[in-house]
Amino acid sequence: MRSGAQRGTALLEQLVGTMLALLVLGTLVAVVGTGSGLLVAVAARGETEDTVQLAVEALTFDVRRAGYDPAAAGVPAVSEARTDRLTLAADLNGDGTVAASSEETTAYVCALPAQQLSRIIGRQSLPLAGGVLACGFRYLDATGTPLAVPPAGLDVPDRSRIRAVGLDLTLRLRGTPTTRRVVVALRTSP
Amino acid sequence: MRRRARAGSERGAALAAALVALAVSAALVAGLADVVRTEIILARERRAMVEALAAADACIAQSLTALPVGWDFEPLLLGPDGARSTPDDGTLATPTGCSGHAARAPGTPDPPRVLLAIDALAGEGRRLLEAIIGRDPAPASPALLWTTLPPFPDAVTGMMVLEGADVDPEAPDLPGLAAPTTPTELDAWVAAEGPHVAPSPRTPAPVQAPLPPLSALATRAEAARPAGAEVLVSQGTPPSPPALALVRGDLVISDARQGSGLLLVEGALDIRGSLDFTGLVVAAGGLRIAEGAALGVVGALWLGEPGAPGAPVAPLAVAGRLALRQSRAAIVTADGLLALPRRAVLRGLRDVG
Repeated sequence: MRSGAQRGTALLEQLVGTMLALLVLGTLVAVVGTGSGLLVAVAARGETEDTVQLAVEALTFDVRRAGYDPAAAGVPAVSEARTDRLTLAADLNGDGTVAASSEETTAYVCALPAQQLSRIIGRQSLPLAGGVLACGFRYLDATGTPLAVPPAGLDVPDRSRIRAVGLDLTLRLRGTPTTRRVVVALRTSP
Repeated sequence: MRRRARAGSERGAALAAALVALAVSAALVAGLADVVRTEIILARERRAMVEALAAADACIAQSLTALPVGWDFEPLLLGPDGARSTPDDGTLATPTGCSGHAARAPGTPDPPRVLLAIDALAGEGRRLLEAIIGRDPAPASPALLWTTLPPFPDAVTGMMVLEGADVDPEAPDLPGLAAPTTPTELDAWVAAEGPHVAPSPRTPAPVQAPLPPLSALATRAEAARPAGAEVLVSQGTPPSPPALALVRGDLVISDARQGSGLLLVEGALDIRGSLDFTGLVVAAGGLRIAEGAALGVVGALWLGEPGAPGAPVAPLAVAGRLALRQSRAAIVTADGLLALPRRAVLRGLRDVG
């Protein structure tokens, strides 16, 4: 009897122990899974934010210097203004001309089919952000009023009215999409 | 023995499982901490960069405000000693937290412009900028009344009416008063004068502005073969065309006169009758309006510092009525008679580092 009882007790102990172990293991797996998911999500969010911020910083840098014209040669700040494409010009070496093949000409292109925002310096295209879900440029006049942009882009008189450039960018590398709306004022006076 | 061995084995399995769980958790936490730490460092760096950039922009804006209005930048390029090729050439007065230097811009000297190199520090960030500074192409007065001194207390015992709105709807409203002192002091003066100073609702608050270059303007007027006070005709007669008039010494108006263009009085303008003028009136020796007298200016009024340097007397004493109303067209007409000084404006910049 005692021996049988001992065997029964051992089996019950084993079962309970196994169940407890499974419970603990399951909890552990869930915790580890959640932790891993959190880690991946945080890393993805950080990467997305970094990418967007880099794009904004690059645009800010280029728009601020657009129209830089120390030789007073009449360099226009914006040489192309469309909703999906922006070209900026600056006479960085002070020779009175803007070289199309150097960093004096910088373009930004929203290529939605390729889900990409590119920065084109001279003739060199650099992908600035991938996973682009939405991307567009806005142009504001001296009163902060957005200019209506026709499909062919703004003409020369309208481009001379631009006082600020806006970028609306949404991208998703992994996980939650990130949207950034930024407006950068030109530093040239009319 | 067997039972003890089993118990020891179970304890070992639990310990191992706990250790594995701990190790996995530690690895996850370490990974998370690393990601967060990297993002915090990036955010800190970005904040420092943005703060330094804002500081550099502010430095340029404040330096621009402090630059005297004028026609070119030769005084700035020559430095305080006024001599070329000396160590103080291009010395620039900058606010705390940044330093700067002015240099001649490349290319032709016209239009006048200068290259500013600005070095700004803010917190842990540092930014270097190069800015091109030019002159505003449009003539403008910083305010309806621009004086070298803030008006003294009780300068207006009569009435001063300020209308900053222009009939031109595209012209921005013009502040009522500008002087080389803080807006707070100017606000206090306007408040202290009480009902004697009546700015319209569309007259912006007083602004700080550097000295009007009255002596340089007079020198230029001398060279432009100006007319005299005879261009001020009696009221009621057909108005004379806009003219440049230079009066050496004081000008006393005892009857009712009118005129237009640019009236430059090297001494004091003393109104004992009435004068209606459309354009710019400059009184280097100050303005006095007697009780019952009136001066109306559609355009702007610039007043100099009467008295000896260091012993100033009130540039403005209004016992009668002074009415000032903005007119951009009148200022443009005056500018056509004699080029007016321009404020410095930012023509472009680039981030160097």
